[in-house]
Amino acid sequence: MLRFSLVVCGRGVAKRFSSSFSSQSALPPNLLLPTNLVDPSRLKRPPPPADCSLPLLRKCDACVPAHLSPVQTWVETLEKTDSEPLGLAQLHPDVFAVPPRLDILYDVERWQRNYKRISHASTKVRSEVRGGGRKPWRQKGSGRARHGSIRSPIWRGGGVSHGPRGPTSYYYMLPMKVRVQGLKVALSSKMAQDYLHIVDSLNIPTPDSQYLLDLIRHRHWGESVLIVDVCEEFPENILEATADLKTVNIIPAIGLNVHSMLKHEAVVLTLETVKFLEDKLLWHDERYTPLHSFKLPYSDFP
Amino acid sequence: ILPRISLANLRPEPGDKQRGRGQHGGNRSGRGHKGERQRGNRPRLGFEGGQTPILSGYSKICRRPQYQPLSLKRLQYLIDLGRVDTTQPIDLTQLVNARGVTVQPLKRDYGVQLVDEGADIFAAKINIEVQRASEGAIAAIERNGGVITTSFYDPISLGILIKPIPFFMRGQPIPKRMLPGEDMVPYYRDAESRGYLADPEKIQQARLTLAQKYGYILPDISKDELYHMLAMRKDVRQIFFGLSPGWVVNMPEKKILKPTDEKLLKYYSS
Repeated sequence: MLRFSLVVCGRGVAKRFSSSFSSQSALPPNLLLPTNLVDPSRLKRPPPPADCSLPLLRKCDACVPAHLSPVQTWVETLEKTDSEPLGLAQLHPDVFAVPPRLDILYDVERWQRNYKRISHASTKVRSEVRGGGRKPWRQKGSGRARHGSIRSPIWRGGGVSHGPRGPTSYYYMLPMKVRVQGLKVALSSKMAQDYLHIVDSLNIPTPDSQYLLDLIRHRHWGESVLIVDVCEEFPENILEATADLKTVNIIPAIGLNVHSMLKHEAVVLTLETVKFLEDKLLWHDERYTPLHSFKLPYSDFP
Repeated sequence: ILPRISLANLRPEPGDKQRGRGQHGGNRSGRGHKGERQRGNRPRLGFEGGQTPILSGYSKICRRPQYQPLSLKRLQYLIDLGRVDTTQPIDLTQLVNARGVTVQPLKRDYGVQLVDEGADIFAAKINIEVQRASEGAIAAIERNGGVITTSFYDPISLGILIKPIPFFMRGQPIPKRMLPGEDMVPYYRDAESRGYLADPEKIQQARLTLAQKYGYILPDISKDELYHMLAMRKDVRQIFFGLSPGWVVNMPEKKILKPTDEKLLKYYSS
C-alpha cells in the first residue's frame, strides 16, 4: 500500500530523471505523488555529534529525569541564506522526545476541528410545515389512500421525519492533560522526523518574501514553514516578508496548536519560545488537581 | 525512515470504532413488543405507577453527619513532603490546599476526623484543628508537643472554609459560624475530646490524665519558642484566622471592607 511503503524519489529526483531519459519512458506530467515523501537531499543534515566544537547556547532549565538525556539540536540564524549553525541547544526530553502517540494526535486534531463546529442545518417537521391541518378527503369511500394531513412525511412537500433539527453544537472538551500531551507528541514527532528547527532570533536583513523562500529552498526545510515566537511585537521585516506568503506563516507561541504543526511541514522556534513552551508544558506534569476554575486566582499553586 | 506525520496520516485507534448497528438492531430495534416501551411513552425516571417512590425522601432520612478520616500516617506524609506548613496553625483550608483530604459538604460531610493509624510513627509538633479526633490521635499529637482542638463548622461555613476563593469572588460578607446542635454540644464542651467550648483548665487536667494513661511525659508547651503560634485558636464565631465575621473581601482590588453600623457590629459580634 502506498501509505506504508516509502518511495525515495522526491520531486527533485523525478525532474532529474525525466530530463536525462527519453520522452517515452519519462514520468507523465500529471503524476500525483503522495505529499509525505521523504526528500533525500534533506537527509544530509545529521544530528550534532557528541564532540562538536560549537558552543552550547541553551541548557534545560527544568530537571531532566535521570533515565533520560536531553535532546541536542543545531541553533541556526536567519541573517544569511548560507550561514553555518551558530551553536547547539539542549531540549527537555519530556517535551521533545515523548513516545509518538498518534492516537492522541488524532484525538486532539479532531477536537480542534469539531469543538467550534455549529451546524446550522435545519429542516421542518410535519407540524412546522405551513398548512396540513385538515384531513384532505374523507376516510372512506373516495377510493384513494387514507391520509390525515397533506404535510405528512410521505407526501411531496411534507415535513422531514428524522432530519437535522436546528443549530446543533458539537462542542466537547478533551481533558487539559490530553491536549497538553498532544502538543508534546506533535513537537517530538517533528523533532524526531527532522522537521523542527531552532533559530536564535527572527531578525531578517530585508523585508523581502523571496529572501525567505530562497533561504528555505537552500536549507531544504520543506514546502511550508510555521514560525513561532514569544513576543507581543515581531520584527517588522519578518512580518512584511510573511504577510504575502501563503505557505510561510508566523504565529505567537500562545497560538501553537497541533493542526497548524501538522499542516506545515517545518516548524521554526526561537530560543525564548523553547523556554516558554518547556515551562508551560512541563508544569502540567507536576501540578496538583485544581480546586476551582483556573480563571480564579490561586494564591500558591505548586 | 517512516513517512512524515501529516493531516493525511492520522487515523483513530482501531479499538475506538463501534460496530454498525443497522441490520442486527432492526425489526423491533431493541424496543420490545407494543405498549409504552415500544411507543416511547414511559413515565419519568423513578416513577412507580403512583406508589410513593423509594428514592423520594432519602435526603430527609440520611442526615447523619459524616467525617472524612485523616490518618496520622497521611498527615506525617504530607508534612514530610512539605505540602503542609508546620510553622502555622493547621486548618481544614490548609489540608485541602495541600490536597491531603477531599471534603464534600453537600454529601453530609461535617469535616475531618483524626484516626490513629500511624500513631507510633508520628513525630511532628503542630497546632491542628479538626472536627473529631480519636483518643490515640490526641495522645500522639500531644506526646510530640503539639496542640489539638476539635471545633464545629456548620455546612455553609464548611463550604466556605474548603473553597475560600470562590466565596470571596461572590462578594458576600463572611458569615458567623453557627454553634453546634443539641447532640453535638456535649461532645464539644468535653475536655476529653479537646472541644473548643471546653474550659482551658479542664483541658490541661485532661492532658495530664491522658499522658498518665498512655505512659508518656507531657512536654511543657509554655516554654516553647512557637508557643504563641501553638496557642492560636479561633474565636467561637470565626471561620478564618485573620478575618472576622461581617467583613467583605475584595479580591481584584485586594481590599477588606469592615462594617461600621452599630446594629451590624452587634449582630456579628454576638
